[in-house]
Amino acid sequence: MEFMYGAYSVVWVVIFGYMLVIGKRHSKLKKDIEFLKQLDK
Amino acid sequence: MLRAALTIAKKDIYSELRTKQVLGTMIIFAGLVILVLSFAFDPANNTTKAVIPGAVWIIIVFSGILGLNRSLVSEQRNDTMHGLLVAPMEASSIYLGKFMANFSMILIVEAVSIPFLFLLFDFKVNGSILYFILVLFVGSFGFIAIGTFLAALASNSKSSEMLLPLLLFPMTSPVLIGVTQATKIILTNMEKLHSAIAWLQLVAAYDVIFFVLCFLLIEYVLEV
Amino acid sequence: MSINLEREKAPLPAADLSPVKSSLLTKILYGSMAAAMLAAFYFIFLYAEIEKTMGAVQKIFYMHVPSAWVAFLAFFVTFVFSILFLIKRKRIFDTYAYVSAEIGVVFTIIVLTTGPIWAKSSWNTWWAWEPRLTTTLILFFLFVAYLMVRQMDGVWDKKARLAAVFGIIGFADVPIVFFAIRWWQSKFHPIVFGDGPSQQGGGIAPSMLVALLVTIAAFTFLYAYLLHKGVSFENMKIKVDHYKEKLRERLEN
Repeated sequence: MEFMYGAYSVVWVVIFGYMLVIGKRHSKLKKDIEFLKQLDK
Repeated sequence: MLRAALTIAKKDIYSELRTKQVLGTMIIFAGLVILVLSFAFDPANNTTKAVIPGAVWIIIVFSGILGLNRSLVSEQRNDTMHGLLVAPMEASSIYLGKFMANFSMILIVEAVSIPFLFLLFDFKVNGSILYFILVLFVGSFGFIAIGTFLAALASNSKSSEMLLPLLLFPMTSPVLIGVTQATKIILTNMEKLHSAIAWLQLVAAYDVIFFVLCFLLIEYVLEV
Repeated sequence: MSINLEREKAPLPAADLSPVKSSLLTKILYGSMAAAMLAAFYFIFLYAEIEKTMGAVQKIFYMHVPSAWVAFLAFFVTFVFSILFLIKRKRIFDTYAYVSAEIGVVFTIIVLTTGPIWAKSSWNTWWAWEPRLTTTLILFFLFVAYLMVRQMDGVWDKKARLAAVFGIIGFADVPIVFFAIRWWQSKFHPIVFGDGPSQQGGGIAPSMLVALLVTIAAFTFLYAYLLHKGVSFENMKIKVDHYKEKLRERLEN
């Protein structure tokens, strides 16, 4: 039974980890865009 | 195409014979691998005999990767690769030429280092030497064919020495599985020769498939 | 270069930020993914019967198999888009290949972690050199190498070209790896682990099959969603990079 919990938590950790990585990239890009906007003004 | 390939192979081998840099390094390295193996597996122990067929391929793979790296990176140094690419020949002849040069080099390394391995570990061959040579030939062919291709691919990177093993090892795993099994059978237990031949056929099929694939795809790798 | 033209294009990346985030396709994919996931949970935990010999542990199966399916699907998509890229040379194909490979690696990690956990509970060993497990491991290494090729320095089309070539031969390698390993294994461990518990007893109970199919659908939606999201993100990044390049040119002049 613990194995099942272990496996399921691993799955979600991996998926959310990936989501987190994507989110980080996203925020970095957003920052870039903001910076460019500022530069453009 | 073949003539151009032969010219490139000849050029590589001549310049190699002039310096003996890569070949010397490969052979010394093979010797060092044997030395490390003797630390890892006690040569006096009888069970060590079981790992010798695998050790043969460890030596070939590790010293082969040294040579593969050099053969393409050396063209990068003075940007002679560019010269080869603008020369009036196809990319596939460059590949073929490099392949022939690397293949003959690894055969030389094998011819020197494997007798040494058998000698130092006092390994008595219970099988057929002829078949063993065939296995070596087929296995090295596949390893070098795909290795030359991936070396050309990796040479575009600044850290190609690090990249090449990462690309090459997983890609050649079928060859390595096949030849180690075949070598084990041929060197120790000739009764199961038919399964060794089956392994050889698998490796040969791999050789053919990937040689053709590399041939078709090399022009995308060696684009100016 | 006229500065006015640059000015005109200036707000482009910023303006594109909002439509990408809330495009209709994204919404549909997100909604169906969420719905399918919830349904999958219902089917896994409430609908499917509990396996007799393995108990609740068998439920790992519903995560393990769909992940493996998605991983193979993702690598297949990479393979197809690699070929398309080499023929058509459009950047969008390369982006698809890249994002798909990345998602594939993530799901391969799931397969490679849930696999041993399941193995430990049902075969009492963390790792068996079983053909499918080993093939997945080699596949994982292959596509990590693929991502490494993409990390190379240089212009994008060179990287894209090399990665596409590697994607093609990498995927072509997979069936051979599988056969080689299966052959190798059958020599030394004949039928110890059989075909793996997923196929034991010549089939699975209907309720389990339904749950499995629902989970596979849910994971496929998740994959589609991630792919779509990733591709639109990469496109935006490309746009921003273009814009930066232009800006730099303008500053230099």
